[in-house]
Amino acid sequence: MQRTRRDILLFMGGGAAGAVLTPAPWRLVTDAALWSENWPGVPRPARGEITARYTNCALCPAGCAVRARCVSGQPVSLAGVPSHPLSQGALCAFGLTGHHLPYHPQRLTHGPVEEAAAAVSAAMAKRGPGESVAVLDLRPGRSASWTYRRSMAAVNNGLYLAPPRPLGGAAVDLAKARIVLSLGAALLDGWGTPGNVHAARANFHLIQAEPWQSPTAALADQWLPIRPGSEPALALALANVLNDPKTALSEAAEATGLTDKQIVELAHELVRNGPALVLSADDLPEALALNQALGAWGRTLVARAEAPVPEPWKKAAPERAVASVPDASIRVLFIDESVPGDHIPWSAIERKLVRDNPVVVTFAWSRQGYGRHAQFALPTAVYPELTADIPPAIDSPSAAFRLSASLMAPPAGMVDASAFIAKAAGIDAANALQQRADAIHKSGQGTLFTCADAKSTPLKDVKPADFWKALNEGACWQSGAGDSPAHSVGRAGAPTAFVGPPAFLSSPQQSTAFPLVVAFSGPHAMSLASPLMSKLYQDSDLRLAPNTAALHPDTARAAGIAGDSRALLETPFGRCPIAVVPDSSVPPGMLEVAPGPEVLDICGADTRAKVVAA
Amino acid sequence: MRIRGYLVFLAGTLAALGAGWIGFPYAIYTSRPQPVDFSHKVHAEKAGAKCDDCHAFRDDGTFAGIPSLDKCAGCHTAPMGATVAEKNFIDNYVTPNREPAWDSYARQPENVFFSHITHVKLGQLKCEQCHGDQGASDKLRPYQEDRISGYSRDIWGRTPFEGAGAGAVPGMKMDDCVDCHHKHGLSHSCLDCHK
Repeated sequence: MQRTRRDILLFMGGGAAGAVLTPAPWRLVTDAALWSENWPGVPRPARGEITARYTNCALCPAGCAVRARCVSGQPVSLAGVPSHPLSQGALCAFGLTGHHLPYHPQRLTHGPVEEAAAAVSAAMAKRGPGESVAVLDLRPGRSASWTYRRSMAAVNNGLYLAPPRPLGGAAVDLAKARIVLSLGAALLDGWGTPGNVHAARANFHLIQAEPWQSPTAALADQWLPIRPGSEPALALALANVLNDPKTALSEAAEATGLTDKQIVELAHELVRNGPALVLSADDLPEALALNQALGAWGRTLVARAEAPVPEPWKKAAPERAVASVPDASIRVLFIDESVPGDHIPWSAIERKLVRDNPVVVTFAWSRQGYGRHAQFALPTAVYPELTADIPPAIDSPSAAFRLSASLMAPPAGMVDASAFIAKAAGIDAANALQQRADAIHKSGQGTLFTCADAKSTPLKDVKPADFWKALNEGACWQSGAGDSPAHSVGRAGAPTAFVGPPAFLSSPQQSTAFPLVVAFSGPHAMSLASPLMSKLYQDSDLRLAPNTAALHPDTARAAGIAGDSRALLETPFGRCPIAVVPDSSVPPGMLEVAPGPEVLDICGADTRAKVVAA
Repeated sequence: MRIRGYLVFLAGTLAALGAGWIGFPYAIYTSRPQPVDFSHKVHAEKAGAKCDDCHAFRDDGTFAGIPSLDKCAGCHTAPMGATVAEKNFIDNYVTPNREPAWDSYARQPENVFFSHITHVKLGQLKCEQCHGDQGASDKLRPYQEDRISGYSRDIWGRTPFEGAGAGAVPGMKMDDCVDCHHKHGLSHSCLDCHK
């Protein structure tokens, strides 16, 4: 019997019909779907023993205590530590997702370490007269900061630079305040230590003076909508009313948009319902002067205390502001942005660098910050890989010492910024954290709070080895009320007197050229956010995406911008492209902008801007 | 001529049915032996071990699963008997302190929540109800893995002819879970078990 093409086709047809009646094709479909869930690159959760480990969050100076649920030693979820004396069990959204950061797609994984070291030593050797070496420390007050200060003291013309601190670096005792006037400070939206703020919230009356209804304004007992940029004018007017009840207020009323009567009543309310406290978003001298007039100094506002340091460390370079450095004078600049801190616009830094081949080395987790402008961007460990101490937050009136203890090993090739800089300066800074812990232990003061058992133990009852072990397990040392000599740092002291009119009133040219007051919709810093979280809040428009600005429709129209569009943001420091979103909740004359790398390059604190159509 | 055509068509159908129902269920799996020739029966009968002596719950209630080498080495620091399997185990794993790379028949995929303690302590299920009578087995059967999905044969891919063959351990496929939950009047929405 001869086979024909027709037979083959019939056989294949029969095969196809039969195959449909077997599990094979259906199983192949489901298996292919299952395979697609398991292809390489899909992260596999660890399996193994579940343990709890404790550390302190390093994402902001609040340093909230963290309980990490670990599977097979790997952190899989983070939570606060109830009854912790500083953070009171709370953790913000950034902190809750901190364990995602080691896997951030923008993470810097390698850098030219040897080349950077060679370039630094060559540049230091060929420095001309008057040229300096500087460290810009975005989060001062750490043991690493002391290493930088010691390093710069050991180097000829060494400078230690830090961003200005709110309230001149003073600390706030919220628990003692009964009325708080916030001049635009995001008190209930990321300011200070969230748990501490919310624990104290029931005991004070909050008045938020701010042009727009920010989250804090919405949650305040009273919101005073004032004109954009008029916070210093309001503080000055209130201080003047307290010093001289008959003072003329017409100029202040004009600047703030409030009536004379409202300003006088506010001043009386602050006195009547005290102890009072005045907070500001930026380092406003007017806010310090008003606090002094209200008698807040020594009660709700105190000099910030720091944990004891070893005696030899005190031979250290003083803290200086970037603005105080002569232009074109820095030959070698190190920038430590390994942990988020306050930001200074790059253009303000750049003008301090020498014109011919300055060497800029940044230590960072990603290239999103100053690394974009530096010759050398060296990768650092990121929370929760790093082990570092966290200085006391602004709302911690007592000295504190706690470690962000490593929960997982950093990848190979990460650089320790303090070790790099100490080596360049020729000083020995190994074991700085343990030396600091020993110095604290020697003082015998304060108490140690251990997270696992939620117990506070007087430090004098703890052995040095146990103290160090406990610190590495997330414990927190805190000085007591009567303890003396916690080392005071920062520029804060009791303010002497109000030093001059607000900058915004004294620079009318800037007000005209740059009519819009910039308000940031998030922390004025390069924040470390889980990529998952930033996707959620950006995709859902809960917050503005980086480098996006919201403008009142009238303001947008006046600038020739219609609807959602691209535009250019201009400030005295430069210009950058932004996306513009019309938003009628933003008051006219104001620009709400989400911090992003390009925006932060040209916007400092208290910056004014204009928007022009692209 | 027409009958011949029907016969050819039918031959194709039967060939496909045979391949699909008999050949395919075997061809889809790859098979490999376990690293150690382990006898549950010997441990149960001679050492008097119970399931939870080795497959224990941790203090926090999570299930430890296959015991680690430390657990085995607690008894097998030196050879216990003169069998080849025992010698291999001591030489290849205990002495060099190397964990055997066990293949877990019962490991559920990443998209499944499964809590042993809920089923054993709260549901009062016996180990055998899901794992079969492993405690009486004298040898570990080869581990069979779906070539495409990578899943163990024990947890995925039941076919009607799998009643008695390899990989026929009852109770660890999704249908088994659903059947049991139905039988006990428990809710069975997708998100009860699936992530």
